[in-house]
Amino acid sequence: MPSTQKWESRSLNNAIELNGVCWRADKSFALKDVSLSVPAGSIYGFLGPNGSGKTTTIRLFMGMMKPDSGEIRVLGQNVPKDMKSILGRVGYVPERPHVYPALTVAEQVRYHSSFYKNWDEGWCKELLGSLRLDPDRKISRMSKGETGKLLLLLALSQRPDLLVLDEPTDGLDPIVRRDVFTALLDYVSEVSATVFISSHLVHELERFCDWVAVMDDGKLVAELPMQQFKNGIKRLRIANAPESADEPPFTILSRDRSNGIGSTETWIVRGWEPPMRHYFEGVGATVRDVMDLDLEEGFVELLRSSRPTHENGG
Amino acid sequence: MYQPMLYLHWKQIRFGLIPFILAAFGLPLLSVQGIGTPLGMEGQTLEAYRILNSMQDWTMFYPLLAAATGITLALSAWNWDHQQQHVHALSLPLARHEYVMLKMGAGVVLAALPALALWLGGHVAVAAVELPVGLQSYPNLIALRFFIASVVAFAVFFALASGTIKTTIWISSLALAFFVLGGPLSEFLGLYFDFFDRYNLVELLLQGLIESPGPMEIFTGNWTLIDV
Repeated sequence: MPSTQKWESRSLNNAIELNGVCWRADKSFALKDVSLSVPAGSIYGFLGPNGSGKTTTIRLFMGMMKPDSGEIRVLGQNVPKDMKSILGRVGYVPERPHVYPALTVAEQVRYHSSFYKNWDEGWCKELLGSLRLDPDRKISRMSKGETGKLLLLLALSQRPDLLVLDEPTDGLDPIVRRDVFTALLDYVSEVSATVFISSHLVHELERFCDWVAVMDDGKLVAELPMQQFKNGIKRLRIANAPESADEPPFTILSRDRSNGIGSTETWIVRGWEPPMRHYFEGVGATVRDVMDLDLEEGFVELLRSSRPTHENGG
Repeated sequence: MYQPMLYLHWKQIRFGLIPFILAAFGLPLLSVQGIGTPLGMEGQTLEAYRILNSMQDWTMFYPLLAAATGITLALSAWNWDHQQQHVHALSLPLARHEYVMLKMGAGVVLAALPALALWLGGHVAVAAVELPVGLQSYPNLIALRFFIASVVAFAVFFALASGTIKTTIWISSLALAFFVLGGPLSEFLGLYFDFFDRYNLVELLLQGLIESPGPMEIFTGNWTLIDV
């Protein structure tokens, strides 16, 4: 099967598929050969520090910008050729609010709903109540939290097959964040929609994402199921660690000699499984301790290891 | 889709548009101020002359007001889109040209409001004066002319403002450069080509724009409410 055909058939099972996408803004920033697959029906967390290329990636697959090279498919359709049809099935919450300050909540809802065939008026009213939004309130007088809830309401009431949320809770207080995620999870439990959430708040995604991808400096550093990400990254305390590690069965993200006591070192490794202890026995070292890292720690270590200036033991 | 778009544009511009509506209503009234009932038959020629003179004094304000209305509508149409980097517009499930047409259609309808006020003001104004023999009023025609001129100004600036600030600066700079350098350039080219010896580039362009059937001819035509 030719590679393009293979890619297209694979993309049918994925809600979003990017293949070798490159895009250059200027000398200082570029997306470099980004390939990612968002499985249909998943809640996909898209992590990365500020300026890593998360919003740019979203704008590329939302058809707002054209890639310099590479292919993009969303919901099995081609970007940008089938954009009109794709956008009818995508609920989008952008990084910066896109509501009109001159309108009231009800007017904004009426305006937005006129563009969507599947608009669910009943559910929209229900959401207005559950998110405690006053239909007569002027948008220019709304708080950031209220605006965030309104944006989610607009996206959900479209009854989308794919929800794309770009930093949806950035700057919101914990109560509003809880409201937003409750509404989101209610929707996902009811409809088998795919959710793509970009965030730099790692702990926020840890609870409910089943896939996670990490961007850094325009590159996709990792893409794997959340469980694998959480379980696979460990902090090891190793006694008599070898000077150089030859072909270990895991990926060494970092090794820190200074934290060790005596001849003990601390290694952060990815892809760890318990039988891999035997590797250390083979090189004359002993694993003293294996510790879990939470997502945030794993995320930080992953970024440290992916940056070229960092020296690690691998 | 069109109705909510029209409503949105109205909500965004309404406070900005009200002064234009008031001005359009008041302009015909100002044009006829001081004009009373003609004296006897012998005084009518003099009165007609006086009315025409008064009309001439106000003629230039009609196209200016129409242009200002169109420009204000055009800039307000894109203002919020620019602030949001067009993200909302681009995330809507409709082709870009459809969105532009909806926005433009809304602007054209809103341009009718000051024209309607001018039409009303025109009728009130001509009802208040008794015209001498030989003079006629044109409130319908001037309102129609005002509407078309507003739409022309709106269309030009709508197109100009739809691009990025960079594009707008480029186009404006090129136009300015042409008007500044077009004359000397024509003179220089005239040394080598007979055509440029006879015609000036800037004059040619202006003629093409403001003389019939140029697109800006509407601004330079007859703008008198009362005429022969």
